Amino acid sequence: MSQALEALERGNLAAGTPRQNKVWTRFLRVAALDFSFQVRRPLVIILFLALVLTTWGLTTGNLSISTGDQSVGGKRAYITSEHALALTLCVLTLLYYAFFISVAAGTSISRDEEMEVLPLLHTTGLRAREYVWGKFAGVLGCFMVILLLQIVTTVLIYHLLPYADADKIRGPFAWLHYAKPALLFALPQVVFVTGITLWLGERTRRPILVFLFPVALLMVVAFFLWDWSPTWLDPRWNRVLFWLDPSGYRWLNETQLKVDRGADYYNTAPVAYDAQFLWSRVACTLAGLAAVAWSSRRFGATLRGAHPTSRRGRRGAVATAAVASTVEAAAESAPLAALAMRVVPVSFVRQAWTIAWFELRNLASSAGLYLFTPLILLQALETAYYTKSIWTTRLIVTPGGFTVLTMNTLTLCIVLLLLFYTVESFDRERATKLQPIYSSTPVRTGAFLLGKALANCFVAAVILFAAWLGCAVMLVAQQKVGMDLRPFLVVWGLVMAPTFLLWSSFVMMLMAATGNRYASYGLAAAALIATGWLQVRGKMNWVLNWDVWSAIRWSDLGFLEPNGLPLLLNRLLALGLAAFFLAITVRLLGRREFDATRVVHRLAPVELWRRTVPVLLWGIVPAALSIWLGLLVWHGFQSKPAKRHDRDYWKQNLATWKDVPQPSLAAVDLALSFEPRRSSFRSAGSYLLRNAEPAPFRQFALTLATHIDSVQWTLAGADYKPEKRSNLFVFTPPTPLAPGDTLRLGFAYSSRWPAGSTRDGGGIEEFIQPSGVVLTSFRPILAPMLGFQEEIGVEAKENRYEPRQYPDDWYKSVVPVAYGLTRPFTTRIRIEGPEEYTYNSVGTMVEERVEGGRRHVLWVSDFPVSIFNVVAGKWEVRRGAGTAIYYHPGHRYNIDEMGRGLDAARRYYSEWFHPFPWQELKLSEFANLANYAQGFATNITFSEGIGFLTISDPRNQMAFTVTAHEAAHQWWGNLVTPGKGPGGDLLSEGMSHFATLLLQQQVHGLQGRIEFAKRIEERYNDERRVDAERPLVKIDGSKEGDRTVTYDKGGWVFWMLHDLMGREANLAGLQAFIQNHKDNPDHPLLEDFVDEMRPFAPDPAAFDAFTRQWFFEVVVPEYHFEAVQREKQGERWVVTGTLRNGGSGRMPVQVAAARGERFEKQSAAQALEGPATQAPDYAESRTPLELGAGEAAPFRLECDFEPDRILADPDAQVLQLRRKYAVVRF
Amino acid sequence: MLAIRKLVKIYPGPVTALQGIDLDIPDGMFGLLGPNGAGKSTLMKILAGLLEPTAGTVLWDGEDMLRRPERIWARLGYLPQDFGFYPHLSGEAMLEYLLRLKGIVSPRGPRRLAQELLERVNLDFAAKRKVKTYSGGMRQRLGIAQAIAGNPSLLIVDEPTAGLDPEERHRFYRILTELAQDRTVVLSTHIVEDVAVLCPRFAVIHAGQLVASTTPTEARAALRGSIYEGSVTDAELPGLRERQQVTQSILVEGKRRVRIRTAGNHVPPGFEPSAPTLEDVYMVLVKTARDRDGAGREVPVLAAPREAGR
Repeated sequence: MSQALEALERGNLAAGTPRQNKVWTRFLRVAALDFSFQVRRPLVIILFLALVLTTWGLTTGNLSISTGDQSVGGKRAYITSEHALALTLCVLTLLYYAFFISVAAGTSISRDEEMEVLPLLHTTGLRAREYVWGKFAGVLGCFMVILLLQIVTTVLIYHLLPYADADKIRGPFAWLHYAKPALLFALPQVVFVTGITLWLGERTRRPILVFLFPVALLMVVAFFLWDWSPTWLDPRWNRVLFWLDPSGYRWLNETQLKVDRGADYYNTAPVAYDAQFLWSRVACTLAGLAAVAWSSRRFGATLRGAHPTSRRGRRGAVATAAVASTVEAAAESAPLAALAMRVVPVSFVRQAWTIAWFELRNLASSAGLYLFTPLILLQALETAYYTKSIWTTRLIVTPGGFTVLTMNTLTLCIVLLLLFYTVESFDRERATKLQPIYSSTPVRTGAFLLGKALANCFVAAVILFAAWLGCAVMLVAQQKVGMDLRPFLVVWGLVMAPTFLLWSSFVMMLMAATGNRYASYGLAAAALIATGWLQVRGKMNWVLNWDVWSAIRWSDLGFLEPNGLPLLLNRLLALGLAAFFLAITVRLLGRREFDATRVVHRLAPVELWRRTVPVLLWGIVPAALSIWLGLLVWHGFQSKPAKRHDRDYWKQNLATWKDVPQPSLAAVDLALSFEPRRSSFRSAGSYLLRNAEPAPFRQFALTLATHIDSVQWTLAGADYKPEKRSNLFVFTPPTPLAPGDTLRLGFAYSSRWPAGSTRDGGGIEEFIQPSGVVLTSFRPILAPMLGFQEEIGVEAKENRYEPRQYPDDWYKSVVPVAYGLTRPFTTRIRIEGPEEYTYNSVGTMVEERVEGGRRHVLWVSDFPVSIFNVVAGKWEVRRGAGTAIYYHPGHRYNIDEMGRGLDAARRYYSEWFHPFPWQELKLSEFANLANYAQGFATNITFSEGIGFLTISDPRNQMAFTVTAHEAAHQWWGNLVTPGKGPGGDLLSEGMSHFATLLLQQQVHGLQGRIEFAKRIEERYNDERRVDAERPLVKIDGSKEGDRTVTYDKGGWVFWMLHDLMGREANLAGLQAFIQNHKDNPDHPLLEDFVDEMRPFAPDPAAFDAFTRQWFFEVVVPEYHFEAVQREKQGERWVVTGTLRNGGSGRMPVQVAAARGERFEKQSAAQALEGPATQAPDYAESRTPLELGAGEAAPFRLECDFEPDRILADPDAQVLQLRRKYAVVRF
Repeated sequence: MLAIRKLVKIYPGPVTALQGIDLDIPDGMFGLLGPNGAGKSTLMKILAGLLEPTAGTVLWDGEDMLRRPERIWARLGYLPQDFGFYPHLSGEAMLEYLLRLKGIVSPRGPRRLAQELLERVNLDFAAKRKVKTYSGGMRQRLGIAQAIAGNPSLLIVDEPTAGLDPEERHRFYRILTELAQDRTVVLSTHIVEDVAVLCPRFAVIHAGQLVASTTPTEARAALRGSIYEGSVTDAELPGLRERQQVTQSILVEGKRRVRIRTAGNHVPPGFEPSAPTLEDVYMVLVKTARDRDGAGREVPVLAAPREAGR
């Protein structure tokens, strides 16, 4: 480098003027020196290693574009495509580079100031701009080298490293795929961050603000700009946000990735950069360079004191001089003895408090806290405000929900802040040169540590307090829920506080061990990256989850269930480790510089023993706790041994028992006894089995959960010992069960559920907890299941196989049921448990009594069912017309709306589809340990996060909507249970969405239906997978995107069919369909539906055309306008233009010119009285078109009003892509 | 009394900062004189418990300072050579902080005590100003204030008058003199005048070795009759340096006044006998020690480094 410089110097001296040459030379010298310093720092090495490891991890395709078909043989997105590399680079650059660049660039000038080199440097000919730009160039050069190395390493790893599925995810090498993303996504970010942090460091000379910049960037960019894209956001504002995102990710996602274009497109097409994007990258780069230029100007102005710091400073200086000149030279002071000073011992606590107090004074003068507290607060509030349920509805903010929802965000932000504040606090004495004086005071090292830690924990306290205030404001604005301090004390106090103590002590240990703040930053960053990697790869468990990331769920019904004990041990472990790290810190933190030659003495066994044993003693408690916790996880139901048991079940029985016919169930007689506080229960009962097959059964099998050990069986009343094959119990009756014969099988066992601890927290689908009970016949826990259950023991990465491919005429055979049992059966379920609980099951309650503190209830099915469940809780009940809602007393918010929905569903679905055959329709709330709703016959279960805590406004009526959907399953899912095969589930979920659309229109009018239709259409837009989407008749739930097709597209298609056929004909067809299949062992698939609806179609040809494209093909239109013009002709307005279908499918569609808001705004009270009416100022004019794929058609609309917009499909009658772009505003 | 025995400090490199110092420091003021890099600050840091020696012992009134340095910190006042303060605190707040850490109390309370200490060092006018606005001299005075606070039994001051103007230096001399009456004060400096004014006893260190430990009177007496002063031209000076041991050379009214040490029969013409100063003593000691190191042979030096009674 120096030779190059010399050569450059010689060349320059020959070429240019001496002054210019010297300017260039000085600049290069500064740049070269800083470059050589930066590349040798451990931080840079850590960054490079982190990038390499991450890139290697990405070769498995973990971070990839959500497109393609993940099934075997399916088309997958290449990780080497330009789109994929653009995605990878813009994400990794922000997440990794920002932090390291900030440390390097932000401290490059203040470092020289600390070393007191600046006065020496600037008494040479070095100019301020040469210095500042030289520093910038040095740092930028270093990270550009890293970027280049990253690209090279990526090429090597992606194209040369052996990998089993390489041919599926690696495309051909094209250097432009790497170069363009690097130049357009990564480089502008690097320049931006380098420039801004250099400016920040020069301007403030406070490292803490520099280090907090990447935190701010993370929050604003990653947590907000990347993610926030509500449906109502105007596309113009969206474009503004593109410009604000230095990473470029928002533009990439919104314009290229969000609406799936298929793996083929992403794998072959270049990224379609537009001019706006390119200019935004230029602007981003220039912003960084402008920051450096500004810094250079300011630095130059302040360098020789030319720049007045402030008027106050100037006045102060003059005053000081005046005072100094009047100071008496003699000033014979009194003897020191007159001060009567003496030294008294100071207690440990007092010392710590003194240190803490003065640290707090420093914090109070630190701008970082004032800047970042509101930012973190905003981020936390945004997280809580926009959290959605599985129905994509926003949730009511409750204190408990708020604390848990914001926990991850607050933990991450506070951990990062604590890292910076702790390191800087620790280093302050050295950096300010107070160290020699400080170390010679009698302050105990422990008091020093405690005082600093207390002050730094104040940072956490301030942020948590601010977040609490934010929650309070949200609650007041929401006007639904009152403040309750207990969740904050529990979650933020007892759960999060140990995390911060542990992390602070860990960082202090790093500082004590390395004595270097940058090494500490690097090692701490490595620890965070490792933690994140474990989380992302699903390898985290209670022992390692030091930050309790996503480990707990809040329920107003129960306290931190189901993870009470492991959480307690985890928190004690955190505290124990904190103490251990502190002990190590005290040991390592020498007030006295160690003598290097004495290291050998220290390593002598006796000396080593003497020094380490007292420290290791502190490690005994955390070691014991981690062993205990580890054992708890090891013996839990999500542990490796548990998974092995399940896999043994699968291995042992798959070949023999898969799809083997079993006897049907004629009757279930069950006696259950629950102890919610111990998560235990006893299940005893009998099944009346019937042979409904033409052949006798020599053997049959039942499955029980693999954790259930001791079961007593009877067969025909006599004790029986079946063959046990890893909890598949094989029965061989003495006489084969002949066709038509019955046999009674009895069973009894006790168990717990959940059986042991979770692996890493989170929720659980079925449970027995103090909050309540949720158990179903979908799992072999509540009662044995007939036959082999093929999903047990299957793990996604280990042995998941693709579903069976059915022939096209499969539906013509006698299709077995998709879930539950082929033939419905009767149930008689007796439940007993603590009297404070209410116990609900399917059917009708025929008996209830309380004896000796125990409640006994008997539920009998008044109409056969094919599945059953039990749910218990401590509820209040709202009764309606043949309905009842059982809810937590604190969750009254939506009860009335849900009650209306349930009543309306029972009434209208009975009119439209089939009379409700059971006596009462119940809906019961369960704790937020899982997030789902299930529509068992007469006994719907809702998680508290669905419906009960949904934010419902008069416009969207979401509580009503979710209730209507789940209630529809009484008909579509219970009365008619779909067959096992492709398309079956649409008859359950798709039809329920369709039923909801009908009910919305019935109760809430056109606006209600339109809102719901648009919501589910938006979800379909976001979640569909172009390559993986198959025709509806082929949907089997196995591919990504199948869910939205089943629910959302299915609902839309049934609605469009209803629209096509006409209401009367369609409903008549549906009624006939249900009548045909409700007691039919031949369960229907979608082709059956099409066949059976056709006779009711007024226009069979139109019916065929519709069903062909929507059921048997994959189509979806996408409309946009071209050449739209509006002009006044006399008294009338004429709008002309062309509508083009850029998608597929042929559908009639209306084009409307409109003015004003269409519907009147309603208050909640008005919404109760009836649907929203058309607003009086609204006007429209329409014309129909019909467009096929790629077709365009002109239109002309004449209006006697001045239209403000033109839109396609104003009544939401055609499913389409990107509806919000099928509008032109004038 | 401080008893230093065979004190060695070797830094990685290796750099031998102290080569086996044997020294007794009695109560009262004691000066440690030596050129830059002699090892004075290293010795000060070891005495202050901030640096672990490679070998040797230091006893203070029989107590081993090196094994348990924390036991002396409560009785120690220390002014390092190179130090700083929290820039964001005012001088008063900074001093108050240190007073509290040291457990120093007075009837008036720590804040008032801080104010009065600042008055003693003539910093009261800047008490409320942030330390980052202080000049170098003001910081030095603040350092002095924290060092003298609390009546320390042992006061170690390393280059304390750096940055002080003459008036402040004299103020500081008064304070130190007052303090030295009933405690041990170790003053490390390369300014001979400081030692001459303040120290009844002093030692000279050069290149990590103790060259002399004596009193100013004895030191001057050892050179009595061997110091001569005269004028030479700049051209003559190099030749004189070759022939004589020049102790001082200053320019007075354009003429070079030179002081030399020589035996009576080697007096250059124009040179008159002069009473030896401590500066002469110091220059002789240091130069001789340097020559000894360079030549590797014994050259007569000033009288005995060992103290009576050891």
